Amino acid sequence: MSTLSYPHDDPAVRPELLPGKRDFRGITRQVSGIVEAKTPTGWKLAIAFTLSVLMILFGSLFRLVTKGTGVWGLNTTVGWAWDITGFVFWVGIGHAGTLISAILFLFRQKWRTSINRAAEAMTIFAVMSAAIYPVFHVGRVWFAYWLFPVPNQMQVWPNFKSPLFWDVCAVSTYATVSLLFWFVGLVPDLATLRDRADTKTKQIVYGILALGWRGSHRHWLNYEKAYQIFAGLSTPLVLSVHTIVSFDFAVSVVPGWHTTIFPPYFVAGAVFSGFAMVVTLMVMARRFLGLGNLITIHHLENMNKIILATGSIVGYAYGIEFFTAWYSGNPYEKFVFLNRAFGPYSWAYWTMVSCNVIFPQLFWFKKVRTSVPLMFVISILVNIGMWFERFVIVVTSLHRDYLPSSWTYFKPSLFDISTFIGTFGLFFTMLLLFVRYLPMVAIGEVKSILPAADPHAAHDHTEARHES
Amino acid sequence: MNPETQSREPRRAKKPLNGNHVPSEVIDSARSGASPSVAPASVHALMGWYETPGELYKACEALRDAGYQRFDAHTPFAVHGLEHAMGLRPSRLPWIVLGGGLFGLVGSVLLAWYTQGVDYPQNISGKEAFSYQAFIPVFFELTVLCAAFATFFGMWSMNKLPRFFHPVQTHPSFERATDDLFFISVEAADPKYDRVATKRLLASLGAHELCEVGS
Amino acid sequence: MSTPINDASKARITSLDPARAKKLVGAATALLVASVALSIVAALVDRQRFAFSYLTGFVWLATIGLGALFFVLIQHLTRAGWSVIPRRQLEWLTGLLPASAALFLPVAFFAHDLYHHWMGPEAHGDPLIQKKAAYLNPTFFFVRAAVFLAVWSGLSLWFWRTSRKQDESGDKELTLRMAARSAPAIILLGLTLTFAAFDWLMSLDPHWYSTIYGVQVFSGSAVSSLAALALLTLALERKGILEGITTVEHRHDIGKLLFGFTVFWAYIGFSQYLIIWYGNIPEETVYFRERWEGPWKVVSLVLVFGHFVVPFIALISRTAKRSRFVLGAAAALILAMHYVDIYWLVMPTLGERGAVPSWVDVCGLIGPLSAGLLVIARRAAGGPLYPVRDPRLAESLQFQNT
Repeated sequence: MSTLSYPHDDPAVRPELLPGKRDFRGITRQVSGIVEAKTPTGWKLAIAFTLSVLMILFGSLFRLVTKGTGVWGLNTTVGWAWDITGFVFWVGIGHAGTLISAILFLFRQKWRTSINRAAEAMTIFAVMSAAIYPVFHVGRVWFAYWLFPVPNQMQVWPNFKSPLFWDVCAVSTYATVSLLFWFVGLVPDLATLRDRADTKTKQIVYGILALGWRGSHRHWLNYEKAYQIFAGLSTPLVLSVHTIVSFDFAVSVVPGWHTTIFPPYFVAGAVFSGFAMVVTLMVMARRFLGLGNLITIHHLENMNKIILATGSIVGYAYGIEFFTAWYSGNPYEKFVFLNRAFGPYSWAYWTMVSCNVIFPQLFWFKKVRTSVPLMFVISILVNIGMWFERFVIVVTSLHRDYLPSSWTYFKPSLFDISTFIGTFGLFFTMLLLFVRYLPMVAIGEVKSILPAADPHAAHDHTEARHES
Repeated sequence: MNPETQSREPRRAKKPLNGNHVPSEVIDSARSGASPSVAPASVHALMGWYETPGELYKACEALRDAGYQRFDAHTPFAVHGLEHAMGLRPSRLPWIVLGGGLFGLVGSVLLAWYTQGVDYPQNISGKEAFSYQAFIPVFFELTVLCAAFATFFGMWSMNKLPRFFHPVQTHPSFERATDDLFFISVEAADPKYDRVATKRLLASLGAHELCEVGS
Repeated sequence: MSTPINDASKARITSLDPARAKKLVGAATALLVASVALSIVAALVDRQRFAFSYLTGFVWLATIGLGALFFVLIQHLTRAGWSVIPRRQLEWLTGLLPASAALFLPVAFFAHDLYHHWMGPEAHGDPLIQKKAAYLNPTFFFVRAAVFLAVWSGLSLWFWRTSRKQDESGDKELTLRMAARSAPAIILLGLTLTFAAFDWLMSLDPHWYSTIYGVQVFSGSAVSSLAALALLTLALERKGILEGITTVEHRHDIGKLLFGFTVFWAYIGFSQYLIIWYGNIPEETVYFRERWEGPWKVVSLVLVFGHFVVPFIALISRTAKRSRFVLGAAAALILAMHYVDIYWLVMPTLGERGAVPSWVDVCGLIGPLSAGLLVIARRAAGGPLYPVRDPRLAESLQFQNT
């Protein structure tokens, strides 16, 4: 049991979110400095590497488009494998960004201001990586616009009853709204970069992007309202996205897919994997960009707590699924789950369980939660585990269907693997461009949580209380 | 900390980009007591800045209480509660968003009704051509999408942005309104505006670098 | 940053007027005595209907207590500041859980009427139930029920007593201790609530199963406990008792949570419905078929509109959440609809006749209801109306929405 020997344990005192003496100017300089500095060699090396991985993606997709989806390892029994796994994996990662920018905002979690910008950027890039799969899986990518209800010469419409059409609506809405929300958040900081620009090019580019923002409070009033509304809209939206992704499976009648807990379970899993990715990235940002004083150990610890909570919810869902498979008395349900745990893919199943349920439980210990190397390892394990979760759900439910003669063991082809690796190239290339050219911490929002930002800092609070 | 005495960040040879920059009409605040020598041809507003949000807050309260209407604050971040000090009404943006959301909802229902029920009915797993249950995800997404567009475009149009140039941007230190200074601007068009009296009021509350900017 | 905590001790009323408190407890006790008599009459007239009506009333009450316990725990877990004041009213509501332990006895008494499908002799001829017998058997059922009720009562009493202890001592250490224990407590709560929902409600139709069932019952618990909290807070404000302690800001936040969890309830309900409707497997669709035919369709529609559409529209605006009238009306509606929700889960077991309300249903509800009122009245009468020495009280007093 903890004692009151440490001052930060005193429940009456809220610890400073950004310890030390911080002033507005210092924050502007620190964050803009990353963008304004001469391009570091490390960055050049990193982007050279991620660009070459991106080339792998382009090569794989070129092969896919020219030869057809047969280059993937799919077969008649397992007609969906690494493609949908990769799609769900990336969409899920995106969810943490929205959770941080929207839900934590609604819950007045002010610590989010240090990480929300980067997490939202991560959302957008993750959704881009995810979109690769459905877009290219249609085969003739130049007809991908047929996914949308546009009038066409064949006089047909997409089927609104298809969960895949819901997916098209959900993911495109999600990408659009996330982008708008992110851009709205960026504008005041782009204005900061504009006002600090030292070359004409920068002044023009940031000037156009900043839309002529001049920090007017009459604007802030509408702006803050818009921010609040975006948060309010994004919260049900982010839930709906992974819910609809889960419907891709759950509205079918395939045992192992058709189960009612899928929507909340997928949402929790998405947040879980997304926070793991945010921790991975923030640990790197602290290391390589010197942001340790803005993204403190306190921020990381809070995220680790969310990982622990959502990981436990995921564990709950695994347990309830297993229990209900038995309780149902349905032999097919029971078979699928026993097959998952003890069949040919048991290695994947137990990888998933250990990465998602067992290792995150180490975060019960404060020592682990606040140890940067340990959390880095666990966050990567969670990412691996969540990839395996989708793989297990997709492949183990399909590979042994009702007809034993069609049972098979799915093996990925070279292009399955190279496409997936390539999406990391896309994701990290975008992230590197982002940290180089845009403010990766919300400058204005961080300033607004400093004690000096409170207009009543000097005098009594009670005055403001009477005004409302 | 006094930003004037604090070493300015090494200024990277920056020239004002806009042509109609008012030649630095810098009037030192109450300290020097100097009066303006030249006034710009057409004055848009009197501007100055404060070091802290608290001072700005008091200045806004003072302007509000003195009956000024056309004044504004320019700050690096949204100063909490400043709208009360300025006497502003709450944003009407929610109504625009409500309109956008309703448009999305009704539009998506009509889209589903026409494409699925009328123009191209399909029998999918024996379900009715227009199965509202299966369309709810689509209705929801399009409602949110349209509401989000309404928020985005509604907010920018209410703020009359984007715009290339605004007179307040000609204040010699205005680039620090997005950094660490808290500006106030009182428009010359305000009926209460009086060059000397307004200046005195702002200066008495600690404003720095008070000067008029042209339009 | 830190306003002196003695802000709270400025001659504000911290507890109920003893005369009024005595009157309140007396009225609740009288109601309880009357309800016992009524229940006995109803049980003698229509034993089967009363068994189901009582189960509905009992689950209605217990779920409100469970939701309240969840919010008490989550507030400790997240070290919430704004909600220190309303936490006390939630703590009163957690008193419903130890009461539920006693109120479960009639359910145990009528267990063979309620769960006759798998407790009765017809279970022997049913191969599907035979497969589940390791879980669905009377002994294990009662053992589990005892565990659930013990866990809930234990958690609720420990957190209540610790909080009351702090009223006396002002020991900050207690806040830390409650925060530390809240995390494992939430896990216990989640698991027990899920399996209690499986046992007491889902097993009414032992063939049917749904993995989301626990979450669904949880969503109803959460939203109903918030509705009860809103009503308690408004009632205290109305009498001028919490004048200057709870403000429009607390009301606004309670309203936001109520709105959010109303949507959450609908989201979970719709997810379950869509998956089963779309999959169209007869073993599963029977559940919604029973509830969408004949008079049950009316009940379902009442639920859709009363539990979601109306409160959603009513509470969507900021002004509405801050208005005493709108918030109070929405909370009362949701609390009533929570009863309909449980009714909708339990009563279809009786077939079509279950959909038609009867006087017996009132008798089934009034017992748990009056016991609940008595518990709340006793807790309200027995101590401060808000955690007077909580270290974060000042934060809650100053709290403002942005």
